[in-house]
Amino acid sequence: MAQANEGKVTQVIGSVLDAQFEEDQLPSIYNALSISVERKVLGETEKGTLWCEVAQHLGGGRIRAVALDSTDGVRRGQPVLDTGAPISVPVGEETLGRVFNLVGDPIDGLGPVETTERRPIHASPPELPELSAKTELFETGIKVMDLLCPLVRGGKAGLFGGAGVGKTVIIQELIARLARFHSGYSCFAGVGERTREGNDLWLEMQEAQIGDTGKSVIDQTVMVFGQMNEPPGARLRVGLSALTMAEHFRDETDADTLLFIDNIFRFSQAGSEVSALLGRMPSAVGYQPTLGTEMGELQERITSTNQGAVTSIQAIYVPADDYTDPAPAAAFTHLDSTVNLERSISEKGIYPAVDPLASSSRIIAPEYIGERHYEVARRVQQILQRYKDLQDIIAILGVDELSEEDKLIVRRARKIERFLSQAFYVAEQFIGIPGVYVSREDTIRSFEELCDGKWDHLPDQAFMYVGTIEDAAKRAEEMEAE
Amino acid sequence: MANRRVLVKRRKAARNIRKITRTMQLIATARFQAAHTRATAGKPYTEKLTQLMENLARAAGGVKHPLMAQNPEAGRGALIVLTSDRGMCGGYNTNVLRAANDFLAAADEPVDVSMVGKKGVAFFRFLGAEMAEAITDFGDAPRFDQVEPLANRLMQRFAAGELASVDVVYTQFVSTARQRAVVERILPLSPETPGEEEGSADLEYEFSPAPQELLEELLPASVRVRIYQCFTDAAVSEQIARMVAMKAATDAAGDMIKRLTMQYNRARQTQITMELLDIVGGANALE
Repeated sequence: MAQANEGKVTQVIGSVLDAQFEEDQLPSIYNALSISVERKVLGETEKGTLWCEVAQHLGGGRIRAVALDSTDGVRRGQPVLDTGAPISVPVGEETLGRVFNLVGDPIDGLGPVETTERRPIHASPPELPELSAKTELFETGIKVMDLLCPLVRGGKAGLFGGAGVGKTVIIQELIARLARFHSGYSCFAGVGERTREGNDLWLEMQEAQIGDTGKSVIDQTVMVFGQMNEPPGARLRVGLSALTMAEHFRDETDADTLLFIDNIFRFSQAGSEVSALLGRMPSAVGYQPTLGTEMGELQERITSTNQGAVTSIQAIYVPADDYTDPAPAAAFTHLDSTVNLERSISEKGIYPAVDPLASSSRIIAPEYIGERHYEVARRVQQILQRYKDLQDIIAILGVDELSEEDKLIVRRARKIERFLSQAFYVAEQFIGIPGVYVSREDTIRSFEELCDGKWDHLPDQAFMYVGTIEDAAKRAEEMEAE
Repeated sequence: MANRRVLVKRRKAARNIRKITRTMQLIATARFQAAHTRATAGKPYTEKLTQLMENLARAAGGVKHPLMAQNPEAGRGALIVLTSDRGMCGGYNTNVLRAANDFLAAADEPVDVSMVGKKGVAFFRFLGAEMAEAITDFGDAPRFDQVEPLANRLMQRFAAGELASVDVVYTQFVSTARQRAVVERILPLSPETPGEEEGSADLEYEFSPAPQELLEELLPASVRVRIYQCFTDAAVSEQIARMVAMKAATDAAGDMIKRLTMQYNRARQTQITMELLDIVGGANALE
């Protein structure tokens, strides 16, 4: 740490502040600055440290920095200390089971965390030859995802969706499903979402057990939060903090690591909030001109190397259900599998509201998932696509005007549509149906038989929230009995 | 937003469909009037003839005629199914075909199906069900001379003891507001239908020529007329079904156009707002 390189605050605008340093002692870009602030809260004086990150050199010894916490109580002329290094977070097994903020301070009230190592949150992505070339399907037991947009082990998956279509629920469900049967470590980054959800998740993880080891999921998990209440600087960097912790597990242990991020859109949003304050000209739809770069820097680091795999699952908010919005579009290209959640499907009461036609995965190809799976997935999509094409005609003229072949397709599509719904473990308390795990083999067989017309005789309603096709048949019998 | 073009395209399609359905509704209305006149004009004749025949049969008493015979040993039935040649008439064909299928499923003996109408023929082909004959050249307004050969053929076979029964499935025209798919038994003729009109049984008839000879002529005529009446009923019902279906379709298309227009306008406005924001934001940032 450079010895007492001190500057002075010259300007504070919201969460961005300028400071004056000696011309020959400018702190480098991304260096952490600390300001000790005193705030008067209800007559009592609180002392604290405000961390900032150098973003620009303005010339003449002036620098512009992004504050990573509230700038309340900061005055012009206050001393600013250059730490000589970027923000770093504690890494290692000691962090497991704990909850942090973006600068690596524990916020779960369980005392300080002592680690032998800290890592800077800024780092380069792994080199080209280090990248892992393995491609393997990661089974989730969720029918629609395993069939149409399977996750890739060591890959990246994005859950796209507008407000209130169930992104967070799916993230939590995946944590429950994957982390529970997962032998490695998990990292969770709460980026700009509701603090309550973070709290719920934390409590849930304490209760959930890993397999039958008697250990809680939280014991293998690190959580990092920079939620809605935090200033944009915090939301901009919290993803990196969590990622840094995950990177450590990837590089230092052989275990597979899961990285959950909820919600990557808030990262872009925070970037745009800071961008204008930094004096950049806004680009399309008011986003920062550096949108693609920022996203790239984050995403390229989330990757699997020859040492270990990081499987990441990210929720991505889609503003106003517009998938062409630059922020979700920027995240889109980085992903191996995209799961699109569709409002019109959630309105039908079908959860998870995955759009079977818009969702896809890089590994939907015969060489990765096998000829049979590929074939079934394509047939399901063909039927649903045809149904979608016919929808306008049905709306105007009615089903009776369709040809017999089309009527059959429509009938099957309605069944398939409902059969794509599934009960979740985490949603059990809301819908009252216990969650089910359907193996990929069962999923493929069920949909194959459905496409073959083997179950045309069952009523549509029997396909709602059941597991395998046999469960649907059972359901139909029960309905008949009632 | 990129989906603006899609919305325009869908709206255009909906508009075109509405144009077609509205025209079809008007045509169906015109055709309905013609068909209605035909059906109602024939009805009194059919009814009177049927009544007369029944009275005569009763008065003549004990007269035997092959068309009144029971042929249980024939082991075969016949069914005429009346569907339309053209679609766009809602559930009209579906209802008739469902009734036909129910009838076939309930029948104990094989049934020769005489399918009238392209839609029914196509449906049975799709099902892979057998048809004894497929008639697709009767058109919208079946004429008596078109129906007659079919009726004659079936009567001959029945008289020869080849058929145990002849039924017709068609859409009965009850009133303008009500039509229903029914199965009507044509043969064997029942000598007596209980609950006939007042005192008709007491009338004394003097027969000339002899009752047997008279019935020989009258019974087949009544069968032909009854079958023909089914055809005219079906024709009216078809036009009504089409009228109703096309009215509903026109309305539905209107609703859809309204909705799409709203979506389009909203998308357009959003885009304008967004572009304005971009311009103003950019200009402000330059200052």
